[in-house]
Order: sequence, then structure tokens, then C-alpha cells
Amino acid sequence: MNRAWGNFAQRRKGATVSSIVRPGLVSFAVSLFLCVFDAPLREVAAQTQTQAPPPPPSPVVPTWSPVELIESLGVSHGFAEYVVLPAIQFAVLLAAILTAVAYLVYLERKVAAFIQARLGPMRVGPVGLLQPLADGLKLLAKEDLVPQGADRLVFLFAPVIAITAALGLLVLVPFGAAWGTVTDINIGLLFLLAVASVGVFGIVLAGWASNSKYALMGAMRSSAQLVSYEVAVGMALIGPLLFARSLSMQEIVEAQRFTGLWFVVLQPLAFAIYFIGSLAETNRAPFDLPEAESELVAGFHVEYSGFRWAIFFMAEYTNIIITSAIAVTVFLGGWSFPGLETAVSWIAGTDPSTPLYSVVFTLATLGVFTVKVALLIYVVMWIRWTLPRYRYDQLMDLGWKWLIPVSLANILITALAFLLAMRPDQGGVFGLLEVTKNGLWIGWTGTAWFIAVNIATFTVAAWLLKKLNRTSWTTDIDALRRAEAQKRAGRLATATERGAR
Amino acid sequence: MSSDAPNASEHVFEHTEMLLNMGPQHPSTHGVLRVLLKLDGETVVDLDCDIGYLHRGVEKICEHDTYPMITPYFDRLDYVAAINGDLVYVEAVERLMGVEVPRKAQYLRVILAELQRITSHLLWLATHALDIGAATIFLYTFREREEILKIIENFIGARLTTHAFRIGGFEWDANPEFERDVRAFLDMFPGRIDEYETILSENRIWLARTVGIGVLSAENAIDIGLTGPVLRASGVKYDVRRAAPYSTYPEFDFEIPIGETGDTYDRYLVRMQEMRQSIRIVQQALDGLPEGDVMAARVPRVIKPPAGEVFHTNESPKGEIGVYLVSDGTNTPYRLRVRPPCFVNLQALKQLAIGHLMADVVALIGTVDIVLGEVDR
Amino acid sequence: MSERRSIGSILRRLFLVDLIKGLAVTLRYSARALVEPRDGANPLQSIYTAQYPKERPNIPERWRGAPKLNNDPRTGESLCTACNVCALVCPVDVIQVSHASREFRDGEKVKKKKVLTTFVFDTSRCMFCGLCQDNCPTLCLELTQEFELAVDSRAGLVWDREMLEKGINVVTYKK
Repeated sequence: MNRAWGNFAQRRKGATVSSIVRPGLVSFAVSLFLCVFDAPLREVAAQTQTQAPPPPPSPVVPTWSPVELIESLGVSHGFAEYVVLPAIQFAVLLAAILTAVAYLVYLERKVAAFIQARLGPMRVGPVGLLQPLADGLKLLAKEDLVPQGADRLVFLFAPVIAITAALGLLVLVPFGAAWGTVTDINIGLLFLLAVASVGVFGIVLAGWASNSKYALMGAMRSSAQLVSYEVAVGMALIGPLLFARSLSMQEIVEAQRFTGLWFVVLQPLAFAIYFIGSLAETNRAPFDLPEAESELVAGFHVEYSGFRWAIFFMAEYTNIIITSAIAVTVFLGGWSFPGLETAVSWIAGTDPSTPLYSVVFTLATLGVFTVKVALLIYVVMWIRWTLPRYRYDQLMDLGWKWLIPVSLANILITALAFLLAMRPDQGGVFGLLEVTKNGLWIGWTGTAWFIAVNIATFTVAAWLLKKLNRTSWTTDIDALRRAEAQKRAGRLATATERGAR
Repeated sequence: MSSDAPNASEHVFEHTEMLLNMGPQHPSTHGVLRVLLKLDGETVVDLDCDIGYLHRGVEKICEHDTYPMITPYFDRLDYVAAINGDLVYVEAVERLMGVEVPRKAQYLRVILAELQRITSHLLWLATHALDIGAATIFLYTFREREEILKIIENFIGARLTTHAFRIGGFEWDANPEFERDVRAFLDMFPGRIDEYETILSENRIWLARTVGIGVLSAENAIDIGLTGPVLRASGVKYDVRRAAPYSTYPEFDFEIPIGETGDTYDRYLVRMQEMRQSIRIVQQALDGLPEGDVMAARVPRVIKPPAGEVFHTNESPKGEIGVYLVSDGTNTPYRLRVRPPCFVNLQALKQLAIGHLMADVVALIGTVDIVLGEVDR
Repeated sequence: MSERRSIGSILRRLFLVDLIKGLAVTLRYSARALVEPRDGANPLQSIYTAQYPKERPNIPERWRGAPKLNNDPRTGESLCTACNVCALVCPVDVIQVSHASREFRDGEKVKKKKVLTTFVFDTSRCMFCGLCQDNCPTLCLELTQEFELAVDSRAGLVWDREMLEKGINVVTYKK
């Protein structure tokens, strides 16, 4: 107790009052400036404002749906729309995702192999393509071991929680336009984040029920990691949501399609934070502490074998798919792609009500989404096989002292910039963007404005981080090393003293 | 926490220490080392190494074997640097017998020993990086190590436990392609070291994991009796190749890299530099490779050194490896004792690790670079 | 500490330049792996793997592999003189040589000669140091380039004279 408190007190002493007060003062000054000069600014803006061009017409989304096909078989409309179609969709989705997970493992092994000057699986089937099947069969055939002293019920049930939370989320992911998605609810993103964090219960319970110290430590690390990165991830998503003006996954995609800009352009910082946070949330390197092989052997699933272990594995990969899918939806335009509608119209004509158009369009969007998610997953794998692993305390540092302050600054500045950029009659100043019924319209002036704002955000974030992280913020490696060595020598002296006593 | 506790709040915040058993079956204890950790949360409060899982009684076995028969056992002390182990033993026997080894054999021995030093450092880098989580370095270093092993294999006939030297020189002269192969390797290798350093040296995660971890001052290092890169990283310029030169090392021009602060990052830098210096030595030895025989003429078939004793030390990749040999004039040694660098260096682990987190213990076991074959003998 | 804190170094830190440099190395490898033709175990290529049973390794001439007892190519008799040096010099005592003395006529005289009867070589304990081969006076005992010594049973690792002269039947996997 003494040591922990002592460290904390020391650190508090290190931070001067000004470093805490100054950011507050600056934001206060900014808001004061806005209050006082609000009216004159608006006048200036009203004079200089150029007339915004009318928003472009909304792009064409197919109106035909397979519900009509099911209805023609003699099923009532409600039953077809709310029971039969979703059931079919979910069955197809489940089969596709489970296959995808199996082949993600294969892909990961291949990606790792190519990075590491190896070949990867080559023996089972042509270029090892049947390897996932062989692995799955092997795991199914293995004995389902429950360690002595484990809490049997919890131990057996934990993987089920993990996989349920992961697979249940799939219904909300907008894999494609129209009927390419199972369902779309108006709190989609919130629901996704909420249910995704249930998955950690599986990990914590698995670690606890195993009655093993390594598993317990893995579980503890996992829960701490998830809790702290959930905050950063959630706040990073607020930035783009200001532009999307909706929590529904489909509407977020539509907003980007309508605006003609992927939100990664408007919110690069938020994307970076989300990406780093999602790596941590899915326990991927460089944040794979809960299952750090070289430290905790296998972490929370060290006592699991056979198919229960495989379930954890599947849950992990499903989570990677889902977090990548969220990133694609919110930041990278989801299933939309510039020129997609034109390409579809070459094949299927321009009438959005024909079944052919509907099928072609939906399949095209599914393809676009898959490619985007695959690329993002490749980046995740690429990072995993290149970078070393952070330590537990450094991970917490990164979460609380780097990502969360930056995401807060990002929200604040983006919101301010958004407010300033709105049309005067809608409550803004400059009139660089327009809130229309279909979504947000941002002209090139608006884009330029937000890019400028991003650069400003970046500067502010850098300044903030420098203030917050006086010790770890240094670009001079040698100085850092001398400081660390001194600190260590002091700590060792204390420890020796304690030992002598 | 019960109500009859005198001071409930004190009781709640009391230290609770957990005993964690790490090894002998643990992925990053580099063999069969067992480390008992006393943890407060994840902070290491106390640490104890339990060794002996690989004890074979080599020193006792050697008392029953003739002198040539002992050489293979020295392969199996530090089995990732077998040639360096062989070298110290055959040199000790040669010193005891007063055998003059031909210069060509000496040069070839230096080349092989330095190549083996590179393989040992590559293996250290591989496992150290893997412990810290950079898995890819492992495969890259093993690729280069494989190239050296191929060279050794073509020359000696074995890869790992080589039994490279005989008392008095070599069994065989170098194979005809030897020089070409080594030169090809020397051309390729510096670029590969640059590659490792691109991935690691400036990487912020690598820095965060190694800088300031396990700082050891020069006085401390000397007190414990450390040798090798671990000592040099603390800033002590002690290298047996220079301090008590053996073989033909005085003829070569190389530097002894030393560290500044003595942390894990320094130990990393020192070893990376040592690989570059080894390349220089091999280059010079190849350029100046003399002609002639590779086996001393005066070595009898049955080796019976005159009664007496000798203590001979070499710079192995891990540190100063020494052999104390007592001969009673018969064909088996009266006593043989090995001074293993790994065993001594392992003693520093406790001092290095206390106060750090459990994840650092893994990095620290990697950084002292132990091989259990030598620790346990 | 301050002189190196330039704008450039701060930007390098913010834009993760150190990490990206490492990532570039690995990306280069994976990109090359996809386009380069493969040539097993070439250190200059992006893929180093040699697929062992399919691609046979290049075993050096001096390789110390499976032991073999050579016969005289002219007479077909064993070159072994049962001198027992190999058994004496072996650090781990894997060799057992037994001999019988046989009488033979050399012109008028009747001489006695040591003849090899059995020769047992326990490969399970052998450490392939090559001392037996070095010390064999008649080049009879030889360590060959054969390296695939795995068998189903422990007993199969103990080689008798017949096995040593013929060599074991190595199952060579082609696929």
C-alpha cells in the first residue's frame, strides 16, 4: 500500500498546477471569445458567404427486396419480412462468417509466413487450403479437459459467452446495401459497442474459473485493458457521428455516400484512435497482453483445450471482423464506393425497382465491404507480426494519458468547428456546410475548412500530450535512457533498504 | 475484513503477495530454468532461480574420459555456441602439453569461433525479441544463423554440437568452398543487421520495453562477477580477447563495444555491435589466412599431458568461459572444472528484476542470455 | 535534452515514423514473397523455406550421419580388424565389438588372426562426435551422409553388424 500510494503522490507532485489549469484557461478564453464576438462574426460571415450550391440528388438505392420473392411463395408479408428473410440472412451470414474465421486463421498464417520469409501451410490440400478444415477436425476430436479445482459450470460456460457476444453482433453490421444487412436499428452503433463489451465476461470468467494463476492474470489484464480502451474507442466514434448525425449503421454509410466524403478525411485523428483502441480491444499485438505467450503462456485460455479453446479462438477472430467492420462503416464509407452506382447501371440498367438491379447492386456493395474489411484486417495482421508487445502499465498509460485526452480534444475542436461552419440560419457562422433532410452537405470549402481544423486539432493534441506526458514525451532517446537509469537506481536503493529492514 | 479486525481499512489494503511458479515448462525461460516469483500485483517483490534440471555431471564424467573424449562434452555445455566451448578446452589441453598449433589452424579457429559468436548472438536476439513480442525477428535471425550453420556443417560435418577441434588443430582442412561461402555470408550479413535494427532500434515499443529496465551499475556488475556483453553494457571494457589474449586475437583489429547505463537496451546495443565487430575479425582472418598444415606435428596418439595444472579462459559469446584442468600424467584428467559464464550471469537476475513488472522478468531472462546446458552442466 | 527536440523529431514521433519504418521492412518481405519465384533456402530470396521431404537437403560430404561398416570392395570381406579402438575411444560407450580368433595357414606356418564376429552400435545414445571414425585404422567404420534414422521402436535403434554393413532401409517421402 505504501509504495503504491507513494508513487502516486510523487507523480502528483511532479505535475505543476499550470499544466492542469492552462488547458482549462485556454478553452475558457475560446468560449469567451465566441460569446462576445458571436454577433459581429455572424454579420461578417453573412456578407462574405457565397451561396452554397444545391445539394446533389440522393444516389439510387434499390427498392426491390427478396421479401417479394418469399411472398410470392404464399407467405404473408409480415412473416416474410420479419421471420423468413432474416432467418435466411442470418443462416447465410453465420455460415459465411464461420468459414471466414477459419480462413482468417489460414490467412493469418500465410501473412505471417510471407512476412517471415516462410511459406506457411502447404501440405493439406493445394497450397494448404484445407488446413483450417484439418485443424477444426483435430480440435473437435480432442478431449474436453476440465482441470481439477476449476469451477466446472463457469469453466464450461465461459466460451459460450464469448462466442455469443461476438456472433450476435453480426446482425447489425451493414455488410451491404438494402437486404445485404440483416437488420438496422436506430441505436445500431451504441448497441454494437455495448454488446461487444459483454464478450469480456467470457474472458474474465474463463480466467477466473480455470483456477490457474496465469489464467487469472490474463483475465485481469484483459478486463482492465478493455475497460480503459472502451472509453477511448467510444469517444473516438463521437467525432464522425457529428457528421453522420445518426447512430444507425446504414444511415452512417448513407451520410458518407451523400456527403461524398469518407469520414476518415474529416476525422483522421479519430480514425487513428479508433484503430489503436480496437487493436487493444481485440487483444491483438502490440496489445495482446491477456494472452501474451512469452509471459502468461497463453493467458486466460491456458487451461482450455479442444473445441472450447477453438471457440475462444473463433470469438477472437469474429471480434476482429466486427471491429474492422465498424471502422469501415464509420470511417471508410462502409459499402459505398465512388462510381459504384454507375458501374452497376452498366450491368443492370438504371431502374432501381427491378430485381436484377437489386441483386447486382447488393452483391456489389457486399463485395466492396468485404474488400475494405479484408484490407483493414491485413493491416491488423501486418502490425501484429512486426511490432513488439507493450507492457501492462505502458498500455494503461497509452490508453489514459494519450488516447483519451486526444479524443477529448478532438471532440471539442470538431464540435466547435462544426458549429462555426454551419449556415447562420441553422445556428452557425460561416455557412460552409448545410444540414439537409438527406444528410450533411459539405462543399470543397467545407472540406478545406475541416482539413485545416484537423491540422489545428493535431497541433493542440500534440501540445496537450506534451503537457500531460512530461516524462514519456521525449524524442531524445539518450536523455530518456539516462533519466530512466537514474530512476531505476533510486528505486533499487529503496528496495534494498526495505529488504535490509 | 471481519468485524473483529482491529483496523478494518488497514486490513483491506494490506499487501497480498502471490507466489508464481515460472518454469521449468514456460515458453520464455530459455530451457529448463525454474523461476519462483513473489508478486505484489504484477510487481516482482522477490525472485529465486531454481536450477539443476539439466544437470548431467559433466565435470565428473570428464574425470573418467581420456582427453580427446572430453571435447564433445564441451559442445554440450553452451550448445548454441559449441565451437567456443571446444576452443577453450582444446586450448587448455594444448597449453598443458605445450603444443604449438599451426597458424592456419589458429586462423581457422578464430573464423569459426567468431562465426559461432554471431550465431549465438543471433539466437539471443531471436529469443529476446520473441519474449518481448516481436515474432518476426526470430525467423529473420534464424535464416542468417542457418547460413552460418551451413558453413560450419560443410567444414566440420555437424551443425550444432560440432566437435570442431581436435587437440593440436583440426581433423580436416577447410573444405574448398569454405572461403567463398564465408565471403558470401559476410557480404550479405551487414545489411541484415541493418534490417533488424530498422525494426527494433528506434521502435518506441522496443524502447519502452528495454530502456531503463534492469539497470546494472558497473560496480554492481563487477561485484556479482559478470562477464561478457552483460558486463560491457554496464560500461566496463573487459573482454578476454583483449585483456588476456589467446589464439591469434592480438593480430586482429577490432573494437570492444561498451554500454553507458547498463540497461536492457544497452545490452541489446552492445550485442548488435559485437556482431559487427565479429564480421570485421572474420574478414581480417580470411584476408590473412596463411598456408600450411592444420594439425600440429607433435601430438601423440595417446594424449598424456605432463602432471600439472592450467586455468585457461576464453571469451565465449556469453562471457568469460574458463577451464581449470589438473593432470596427474595419466590419459584422463585428475580434475576438470568449468567456469561457466551463464551460471554467474544468471545470479544477476534477482537484482535486475526486483521492482520491475512480471513482463520485464521475461525480458530480463532474455537479456542475460543464459543457456541452461551451461548453467547446470 | 532540448537540442534534439526539433519540430522534425516531434513530427516523427507523432506520425509513428519509427514504427512505420519497421512495418515497411515486413511489407517489403510479404510483397516480394508474392511475386518472386521461389528457390528453396536461398538467403537472398524473400522465402527461405525448403520444403523438406519434397526438396531434399544438400548433405555435405563430411556429414557425420548413420554409421556404416565398410567391406573390402575386392574380396567382400569386412575391413574391420576387431581392434576395438572405436569402442575404447567412444565417450558414451555405444560400440561393442566381439571377436573370435581363427587359425589360418600362411604358407607353412599356422597363424592366428582376430576375426570380427559381432559389432553392435547403439545409435540411440550416439552423439555423432565422429571420434570412432577418426580413430578407425582401416577406414572400416564410417559415418555416412544418411541422416533419416527415425524408427518405430527403441530396439530398432540398436544396430547389429548386418545393419551396419547394409545400412537401414530409409523410407524416403516424396510428397
